[in-house]
Amino acid sequence: MTTPTLAHLDRARDVALDLSGWGRRFVFYQPRNLAFWGYLALVGIGVLTFFSTLAREYNAYGEAIGLAVTSFAIYAALFWWFTDRIDHYAKLPHKLMVVAFLWGGFAATGTMAANANDAVLALYAKTFGQVWALNWGAGLAAPFNEEVAKGSGLLLLIALAQRHIRTAFDGFILGAFIGLGFQIVEDITYAMTSAGTQFGANQIGASVGTIILRMVSGVAAHILYSAIFCAGVVYLVGRPAEPRKIGRGLLLIAIPVLLHGTWDSLAAIAGPSALALIGLLIATIVIALIIVAWVYRLTVTRERDFVRDVMAPEQARNVITPIELDAMAGKRKARKAYRKAGRTRAERRRARYILEAAYSLADELAAARGADTDRVRFARSEVARIRAGLPSPW
Amino acid sequence: MPDAETEVSSASSAPKFEPDEGWVPADERRFGLDRRTLRPTLTVFALVIMMSVVLPVINATVPYHDIVRAGDVMELEGNVTFVPEAGWGITSGVRAGKAPLSGQYPATATVEHGAMKFTVRTGSFHGDADKLLDQIETTSDALNRGRGVHVTGAPITIVTGQGKQGATVRVTGPHTAGVIAAFVFGNRGVEAVATGPSDAGAESSTAVVRMIGSIGNSGEGKQ
Repeated sequence: MTTPTLAHLDRARDVALDLSGWGRRFVFYQPRNLAFWGYLALVGIGVLTFFSTLAREYNAYGEAIGLAVTSFAIYAALFWWFTDRIDHYAKLPHKLMVVAFLWGGFAATGTMAANANDAVLALYAKTFGQVWALNWGAGLAAPFNEEVAKGSGLLLLIALAQRHIRTAFDGFILGAFIGLGFQIVEDITYAMTSAGTQFGANQIGASVGTIILRMVSGVAAHILYSAIFCAGVVYLVGRPAEPRKIGRGLLLIAIPVLLHGTWDSLAAIAGPSALALIGLLIATIVIALIIVAWVYRLTVTRERDFVRDVMAPEQARNVITPIELDAMAGKRKARKAYRKAGRTRAERRRARYILEAAYSLADELAAARGADTDRVRFARSEVARIRAGLPSPW
Repeated sequence: MPDAETEVSSASSAPKFEPDEGWVPADERRFGLDRRTLRPTLTVFALVIMMSVVLPVINATVPYHDIVRAGDVMELEGNVTFVPEAGWGITSGVRAGKAPLSGQYPATATVEHGAMKFTVRTGSFHGDADKLLDQIETTSDALNRGRGVHVTGAPITIVTGQGKQGATVRVTGPHTAGVIAAFVFGNRGVEAVATGPSDAGAESSTAVVRMIGSIGNSGEGKQ
């Protein structure tokens, strides 16, 4: 086996950067892109719908709305931080994440799913009777309407960011942000509805239970469903860095629909037993978390390969060591093992800083499309400085 | 291993040119737009039309077939019941003894007859019927802000067939008239709202009065 030359490695890096879209700047304003106008119109309708409802109900349920908005804003910030954190290989632009969040929060809810859910639920009641609709209506309406409404946003996002959304993992991350937006707006709406369940009296008491329940159950709800669904959409349509795999795509689209349907039918499946309901609730959450972890592992491999391709020339140039390259392109366990390998606390801390500086170098290389710019040279010098244990002059 | 020292600056010092995001290749332009963005956007628009227009229109054209028969009793959360008028259509809520699998009856039930609509809603409430009626008025005014239906006249006392005392008040709106009734069974409030055209006949009004009078709580003795 021949050792690849630096020229080979540099070429492989260029190919990886080209394929992955990593480091490219995302421009939202694209007047010659129909998806841009479509997105603006549909999100705009959703924003108007949501805020007009909020403004109307604020007069009556102001206390509950205040509590719900504050609680779910903190909740959203935590999930945002977490989802952003797991995207630490070939990162997507933050602007794109905001665009995804807004689609989920406004277009997928108010413009699409809410109308369809109301209609389908009423049709079920008319066709199969009220009792049947109460038992199974939600479980057979929401999964289809809501997952399609959220997932269709990814089609627009791909048209808006053709050079950025290249892998199933990109779909997974953006799907999570679409789901987060959907979840937060839906949670606020649920809290508003709860506020009225005691005729507008005792609003906080009436809505706090719903807020807590939505927060707990939200761990394995829309964020997770949409992440899996959107990874499936990417496999289904295929992208430059992700060859089309129709079977896998359909499977990943079907799984969240099934999970969502099961979740919405839990009360009917469990029957009147509260214990059975709690047991099923926990089981569904655990199964959903296992599945999402599997999809993460399935999709993230390509992203890790991109990191390896982008950083291999740096290892060849002795900017980083082979162990550091393995840690960077490896799983969380590999990074942890690298960090823990130090004998003293100072060494372990330095290892962590070196890894962070190396990731920053990877981001700079991606932004420079592999070129040797001042920013890249500076990022390299930072890795060397931290390795030498020198203090920052800045 | 390549010679790192000699090849350290083999990469270009300037990034490779890439056209900006808004640039569209000449052979991909249609009507001034990027042709590649037409299909996904039109697909999404088709879904939006299906979900927000087609499904609601289909729903609007399909009538409810669940007609109340003599002897039917509607049941709501907290053992609240009422007897709907025979011949009216059930558009939400379930009959007594036909609880969903969860065992939990819904908090709302609605029956309709032409333009007449009768809704009963229940929820936890601490206070008497007058206080509940005040609360309903306050919430309704806050939501409507002077638009839609509003309370006209002073509340009057009403007594159900079970002998339960409640409070009722007339409401009017543009081309609409109706009545709101409030009862409290223990810690459970019940709101009944009947609305219909201003010129609804005496027959409808009598039916509404009968339904309000039939409101009861089968579990009140147990509380």
